[in-house]
Amino acid sequence: MIRIAAVGDVHVDKDVVGRYRPALEQLPERADALLVAGDLTRHGTVDEAQCFATEFGGLAVPVVVVLGNHDHQSDQEQQVTEVLTDAGITVLECSSTVLEIRGHRLGIAGAKGFGGGFAGACASNFGEREMKTFVGVTEDISARLGEALRAVECDALVALTHYAPVPETLIGEPLEIYPFLGCYQLGNAIDSAPTALALHGHAHHGSERGRTPGGVPVRNVAHPVIKQAYNVYQLLSESVDSELVSA
Amino acid sequence: MTNQIDLEAEIQRLLTEHDRVAEQGITVQRRDNVVVLGGEVESAQRRDEICRQITSHFPEIEITCDIGITRAQAPSDVEEIS
Repeated sequence: MIRIAAVGDVHVDKDVVGRYRPALEQLPERADALLVAGDLTRHGTVDEAQCFATEFGGLAVPVVVVLGNHDHQSDQEQQVTEVLTDAGITVLECSSTVLEIRGHRLGIAGAKGFGGGFAGACASNFGEREMKTFVGVTEDISARLGEALRAVECDALVALTHYAPVPETLIGEPLEIYPFLGCYQLGNAIDSAPTALALHGHAHHGSERGRTPGGVPVRNVAHPVIKQAYNVYQLLSESVDSELVSA
Repeated sequence: MTNQIDLEAEIQRLLTEHDRVAEQGITVQRRDNVVVLGGEVESAQRRDEICRQITSHFPEIEITCDIGITRAQAPSDVEEIS
């Protein structure tokens, strides 16, 4: 059995430091690792990254994150990544990590992802240079996420993105902005590997649950969607306990 | 006079692009001369700053603020993935 905690879109800055910490201090009693699905900060500054590291770092369990679009706002994603890495937080971008948890190998492959839309309403790699560049980014990130997922050797594989891989978890958002919230290519990448669970954020007004066309469970863990400090998901279990609190 | 659709679009962009706000998850609905704001943010300061910026940029608009602060308590249950 492996239990993973997950949240996204926490947008940490000085005014948020301390809000999550009481719940995070309890996290090691409830889960074996914490995954954060991007938008760690408001503007992607080094100062905000340090606030995130203060709030979400130093836990007794591994913390694995991807960046979100907010974390790119100041064009300092490299420095942000360095701050987080120095705090012991693993930052994935079209890459993977494997955590050894009670005799099991939990594989996590992650990428920010990008927009582009879904079947029947997606952008195409055609026309103006700007449009081809946009869709090219979508295709490149998705392809590299697929490669990262397929390369992991583990007992349970989790895909972690900021942008959504399916439209089902966007229900509640205006249809007009779906192409800015995710793309079907991420879903295809997730389906190209034996993925057990896909986690994403970004869609604050979306829905919590969906599945990829290939049947992989998808969970939107954006903080305004889950409405608590983190959700906990259990993998590789023969039975599930209804209560989280340890004895 | 800015028309209804343009006003909502301008407020949405202000809330996203203003350095002191940077919020993409706020809904903006105009009813007559009242703008109703919805969604959730991470702190009361952020909610108050949203109202302050809209009032500053669109002083003729009355605001009804239904923005909540997202709760951050620990969970009480676990979901089994199968």
